[in-house]
Amino acid sequence: MSRAGRYALGALGLALAVLSLATAGSAASAVQDAKHTVWDGNRTTPAHLIPLRDENDEPIIPTETDPLPYSARFTCGPCHDYRTIQGGWHFGAMTATKSGRPGEPWIRLDPKTGTILPISYRKWPGTFEPGALGLTAWDFTALFGRHLPGGGPAEPSDEEVLAYPEARWNVSGRAEVNCLACHNRSGRQDPSEWAKQVLRENLRWAATAAGGVGEVGGIASRLKETWDVYDGPNLDDHEWAVVPFVKYRTSDFDSKHRYFFDLNYQPSDDRCLACHSVSPAGEAQWSAEADVHSTSGLKCADCHRNDLGHGIVRGYEGEAAETGNRTAGSFTCRGCHLGENEAGEKSVVPGRLGAPYPKHTGLPLVHFKRLACTVCHSGPKPKEGFTRVRTSRANRLGIYGVATWATDLPAVIEPVYAKDAGHKISPHRLVWPAFWAKMSGKEAVPLKPEDVEAAAGGIFKPEERIAQTLIALSQVMAEDEVPVLIAGKFVFAPNVDAGIDSAERPAAKADTPAFWGIRKGADVLPLVPEFDPAAADKDPAIEARFMEFLQALGTVAGAPGRPVIAVKKTLYQLVDGSLDMSEAPAELAESSGPGWLAEGKFLPLASDFDLRTVTAKAGTEQTLTEEQVALVLGALANLGKGSDFAYISGGRMFRLGKDGRLAAKSDAAAKPVTWPLAHNVRPAQQSLGWNGCTDCHSGGSDFFFTRLRGTGPLLTANVEKRSAASFMGLGGLFQRFFGLSFITRPLFKVVLAVCAFVIGSLVFVAGLLLLGRLAGFLEKRPEP
Amino acid sequence: MMFTIIVFLSVIGVVAGLAFHRFWTTREETGATVLYAELFKKYAVWIALGARRSIRKASPKNWWQYIKALPLWHLPVLEKWLSIGFYGSFAYLAASGFLFAIFVPRGLYGFPLVGHVMAGGLFAACLAIIVIFKGRDFISVPKPVNLSLALLDPRKMGITAARVKLAAFWLFVLAGFLLALTALLPMMPLLRTAGQKFMFEFHRYSALASLVAAMVFVGLELFESDRP
Repeated sequence: MSRAGRYALGALGLALAVLSLATAGSAASAVQDAKHTVWDGNRTTPAHLIPLRDENDEPIIPTETDPLPYSARFTCGPCHDYRTIQGGWHFGAMTATKSGRPGEPWIRLDPKTGTILPISYRKWPGTFEPGALGLTAWDFTALFGRHLPGGGPAEPSDEEVLAYPEARWNVSGRAEVNCLACHNRSGRQDPSEWAKQVLRENLRWAATAAGGVGEVGGIASRLKETWDVYDGPNLDDHEWAVVPFVKYRTSDFDSKHRYFFDLNYQPSDDRCLACHSVSPAGEAQWSAEADVHSTSGLKCADCHRNDLGHGIVRGYEGEAAETGNRTAGSFTCRGCHLGENEAGEKSVVPGRLGAPYPKHTGLPLVHFKRLACTVCHSGPKPKEGFTRVRTSRANRLGIYGVATWATDLPAVIEPVYAKDAGHKISPHRLVWPAFWAKMSGKEAVPLKPEDVEAAAGGIFKPEERIAQTLIALSQVMAEDEVPVLIAGKFVFAPNVDAGIDSAERPAAKADTPAFWGIRKGADVLPLVPEFDPAAADKDPAIEARFMEFLQALGTVAGAPGRPVIAVKKTLYQLVDGSLDMSEAPAELAESSGPGWLAEGKFLPLASDFDLRTVTAKAGTEQTLTEEQVALVLGALANLGKGSDFAYISGGRMFRLGKDGRLAAKSDAAAKPVTWPLAHNVRPAQQSLGWNGCTDCHSGGSDFFFTRLRGTGPLLTANVEKRSAASFMGLGGLFQRFFGLSFITRPLFKVVLAVCAFVIGSLVFVAGLLLLGRLAGFLEKRPEP
Repeated sequence: MMFTIIVFLSVIGVVAGLAFHRFWTTREETGATVLYAELFKKYAVWIALGARRSIRKASPKNWWQYIKALPLWHLPVLEKWLSIGFYGSFAYLAASGFLFAIFVPRGLYGFPLVGHVMAGGLFAACLAIIVIFKGRDFISVPKPVNLSLALLDPRKMGITAARVKLAAFWLFVLAGFLLALTALLPMMPLLRTAGQKFMFEFHRYSALASLVAAMVFVGLELFESDRP
């Protein structure tokens, strides 16, 4: 063979070898892909005794020193393609191109500034995009990570991390998709632990701790921003800035360091309800009803299914067309129970999971055209003033510990019947937004609560100031003594959250002058008792107590002056650590009790503004008064010269008029945000219409005529008021008239029935007569 | 959509048929016309001229004069109010029902629907009274028929305008009965969704039958009254 021939043969051989290797590689890859996505048909869940791997894809040896937390990406990823899962409904909000029917937004709640902002990456109507509010993925995770299942904003891209260097991703790590949050069958799965770890910025450790895989200690939020996970523990600090660490539960590992995960293919309801619970506010747990599907033995995941892509079937009409997932059509109410798609075609698999076929006897067709199934079957029944509920995500439910996490605000209202995107009336949940805004033309652009608080100075802090004073005084109280402030009809006492609790005094008058006291059992004694400082036989214990009080008040941060106690014409104050008793200046002669001495002036411990503010709000859930709002708007205007500012609450926009007074008006920015609700589904006998048409169609039915008052952090009578019918886009007058017509409907039916009987009988007789004539039966016949 | 098409075809057919009856009965040239095409041409010209004449004559004033001249106002008091209730309710029912069904995608709703239901009750009551007290005037006395092939020959069936009018009356009554029945049954806790759908469709087609019957009856009645 020639040299050229040998070269050619060699080259051909090399090419063939490369080709065959490439083919073998792609075939192996295809087999592996198939392994990842194709079910082999067995209906059991395999035992997950698997090696744990950390975020560097290194195997975890639980007994070695300072092991890293496990990483779902590298532990679960080898069998379940992580990138596919990342695009799922729970993790893909930031990058989703289609978001379908509006769902519950995240709600940023800041009671101090009176902020209730509905937020969503999904651009649903009425919500604000986090970026538009200046919230980075870090901020979003810090605010809402407590109820995030990892992934999404908690696991930002490298670009996002680099774009916001002030975020502490380097310290906290990223919270990867937490597979255990849903699929862990173990009772050790602890959403509260997850929330705690997120709050501590222990993001990369959160899944390990919450899943019960190991015990996590340390607090990343206390570490310097320069700390890195490779830096290891802080040898100089074992008390405060302790580096997060994991102690794996070694009993769940085998000798090959494989960990046993007790997993479910379909998540149990508890896992879903950790983030998706909704319960009527104030209802006792034992009396709360569950969804009829749950009580019938169905799991959430029986209907809300997904493949590896985790595109959860949400179960609303139109979803199949929007997502391209045709199976979704048979998991709507209509699909399961009627076997129909949204166009009414019998094109889907009916009766899934044994869904009964509804009779709907006597129900006029218009109800199917105009109403979603959920109107009659889901949510609480309509009642006067609607039902206030609390949801896991909005009201921080399901996080248990020493501190109380759950909040009453925001006020979530249901069922508000409103038209959805398909122009069908369906029940919705509703929240009235509340926020401070800078006006840009006619548009209200929300301000960050931190910026508003900074501009407001001390306007938002009357409670804080009074709490500081009471907490300071409590340092020198006996065990059975509690310092209190009595103002108007209320007693204010410090609480464990460094705030104040108010309690009403039943017999007290609203104009009772404020005074500081000591509660001892059921009695309240004045902090400064009546006595004559000049008397020779005065009790020396009183002055000793005064000294304690003054020392305690001296610890109040940001006090306007030195603490003093004025008694008649005597002024007590601490001078060089000793109690000094001097004659009060003439201008202080009228003053009495504890206070502050600032520039020779005696100031009460709590200013009139503080007293006015806390007594006005005591016993309510509102956190702002109109006076505070006016002052803050003024402060904002002073800072942002030439700009116009507004505050939105209760469905109204409040702005300062030219006369400096607060003026309210309706505005699009103040409109409530709503999203459809689907659960809890009630049993058929509790559905609307079971008792007849008058369940809804009567002169004063709650379905049409109950009124909704706007609620918000602002204590005001100036709120939006709307009837239930107005949300449906229906005329209240017509519905009232139509409802009243049902009083006469039974009579109408009788009249119609009698008329139909008479007409029908005569037509029948006439027909018989015609037949008889034609047949000749009715002719006169000659006698035979 | 199907219902709309059927309504339009039915109404056009009835109007054309009644006009043709008038044309056939009143125009002398029809007797001399042998070719169908020629006959149709003359009919088209006649109907176009008639339509133009009617449009020219039509004005609110003339309509008012026409209504004032109706014999209805001279009837005894009970009969007068019965007729007003009957004609008025039927006119409203037909107008609201067909206009909304054809031109409003949402169908009949709101106050017009409430009016429709109320007018329906009045119509049923008036119709029942009319059938009781006037039905006897519309009972024909046909001869007994004999079994023969002549029964199938339309020319020997004895179809006359008077008999068509009688048939229209009883078709109207029958449709009225079905209208009342199909309005009543959906209000009772008896029918499921499929039954409700059926009743809804049946109500619409019964209404169309009653409209056609009423048009035929009134058309023939007016033709008779116009003839010298």
